[in-house]
Amino acid sequence: MNAKLQSQLQAQIDKLDSVSTAPAILLPLLDMLRLPSDRISLEKVVELISYDGSLAAQCLRLANSPLFGRRQTETVRSAVMTLGLERVRSLLFGLCMNGVIPQDKWVIAPDAFWRHSLGCALITQRMAQKIEYPEPEKAYLAGLLHDLGFLVNSVLRTEDFRECLRRAAEQHLPLHVIEEQVLGFSHCETGQMLCGHWGLSKELMDAARCHHDVSLLPTAGPLACLVHLSDLLCRVRYLGYGYDEIMGVDLGGDAAWQTLVRAYPALGNMDLVRFTLDIDGAMEQIIATVDSVFGARKITAPATS
Amino acid sequence: MPFEIAKAKPAVTPDSNPGDPAYLKIRDLIYRISGIYHAETKLYLLISRCARRMAALRVTSPSEYLEHLTTRGNRDAELRLLLNEITIGETYMFRHPAQLDALRNVILPQILQVKGLISLKRLRFWCAGCSTGEEPHTLAMFLLEEKDKLLAGWTFDILATDLNDNSLEAARAGIYGEYALRSTSDALRRKYFKDVGNNKLQANELLKTPICFDRINLRDDSKMLFQKGIDIIFCCNVLIYFDLASKRRVVQHFYSNLLPGGYLFLGSAESLFQVDDSFRLVHFPGTTAYWKPTAAQAVGGTK
Repeated sequence: MNAKLQSQLQAQIDKLDSVSTAPAILLPLLDMLRLPSDRISLEKVVELISYDGSLAAQCLRLANSPLFGRRQTETVRSAVMTLGLERVRSLLFGLCMNGVIPQDKWVIAPDAFWRHSLGCALITQRMAQKIEYPEPEKAYLAGLLHDLGFLVNSVLRTEDFRECLRRAAEQHLPLHVIEEQVLGFSHCETGQMLCGHWGLSKELMDAARCHHDVSLLPTAGPLACLVHLSDLLCRVRYLGYGYDEIMGVDLGGDAAWQTLVRAYPALGNMDLVRFTLDIDGAMEQIIATVDSVFGARKITAPATS
Repeated sequence: MPFEIAKAKPAVTPDSNPGDPAYLKIRDLIYRISGIYHAETKLYLLISRCARRMAALRVTSPSEYLEHLTTRGNRDAELRLLLNEITIGETYMFRHPAQLDALRNVILPQILQVKGLISLKRLRFWCAGCSTGEEPHTLAMFLLEEKDKLLAGWTFDILATDLNDNSLEAARAGIYGEYALRSTSDALRRKYFKDVGNNKLQANELLKTPICFDRINLRDDSKMLFQKGIDIIFCCNVLIYFDLASKRRVVQHFYSNLLPGGYLFLGSAESLFQVDDSFRLVHFPGTTAYWKPTAAQAVGGTK
């Protein structure tokens, strides 16, 4: 991507908040996402949700869904307690981003996008725990945010990006490869820009930028490597971008794996088949959660009042 | 369906408590001994399998059953019986479509490309532990369907072996009921089977021709050494019955039986972790396989 295109995109991203209705809770929510889940205050979460009638309604709907076996949740507070803080903050983020993207601009189906993002967040976190990476919460966040560039591309280049998705699905190829061909840049770059625009840490920006090619970093950070591997694992367990990719992944032979295993030898002691079976179970939960939020209505824009 | 999401959970005996830590110990034991792993969400399957053995033994608590598996004199026999329960009903045709997709989309094109440079356009498959033949017949149907497409200009044969003579006899006869054919389309039934009455279908000559059945004991080193030039081996839920040392030896045989660039498929919950590190584990959509890369492939990473 040349400098001119980059500054043009950056200028468009900087205006993104003003062109669409950025939910008021986005920035406090991002602050909250930076904390380990045991340090998030229940009161703070309830307060954030209560700002927005639509978010509150969504939380109640989910808490009352058969998935949680509850029928009588009537307050935001009890809904949050039913759902658990961990799940609530991921959901909030998803619902909140749906408000940033106008309804007609979604290219990747929102449910597919959130399955992939939440799946990747969870796998990144679990893998981080397995290798004893000191900040698994940050790993979760890196996984959750790694594909934000798709949303940027959906808004800024809607029709071209739609064409990317069409071609990628038709040829069963990775989306970033087609983005490079059609747009001249990929969601990796725009994702990094959006993270920068939101003032997120350099590590998170790097993870967004390099999650398809860790060799872009002079010394690939562990977060970028973890997200790269989790993204691949998601895509081979049917949590990709909503179409079938043709792929065979030798994770152990992957550059990110080899970089990580040097710094975190515990990775070498991980039974990947077993890990994959474990995450399949967690995926079922994610699919059920996302479906119960997006199942009835594909896109739910938070109320602006 | 992405992965097997449980539909109806099998009933477990009233006094079996799924949260009982003894079940986790049994799960870990099975994993250690056989390499079969039950994730948290699949634990109910293991519990229902244990329930059948516990009923047969008139054992009521999982911790008592754990004793049968670990400290009682007949523990090896009991472990085998439990493994039988775990793998029972595993086989029907087209049981693992993800494996066939991986073959069609990635593995075969890759192998054809490597072997296409050599003049002999022939592929060899081996179903090691073919039981009553569902797997080799599925593979034969799949390959015959690709004969004029992906495999145009190529020939192939399937070696299907088992230790059990009764199983082999059934496999050779190739007579199947509705259960085995539940995922086989009408078109394939018409093309590759003939009606033999009693709601049974029998594999026709077209389907039988590419398959060669033989009795092979995977522990028989001298016989194992003779299997050469194989491109793809299927060995699903067989090694689970072997102790670590024999498992290692069989897997090493497989490694040398395979041509460079070849693949080994195991059962979907089977792992070679700490059994063997000569193979490379490759993830495909919905399935995994073990790969013996060529010297040139070994240098590259993710394909």
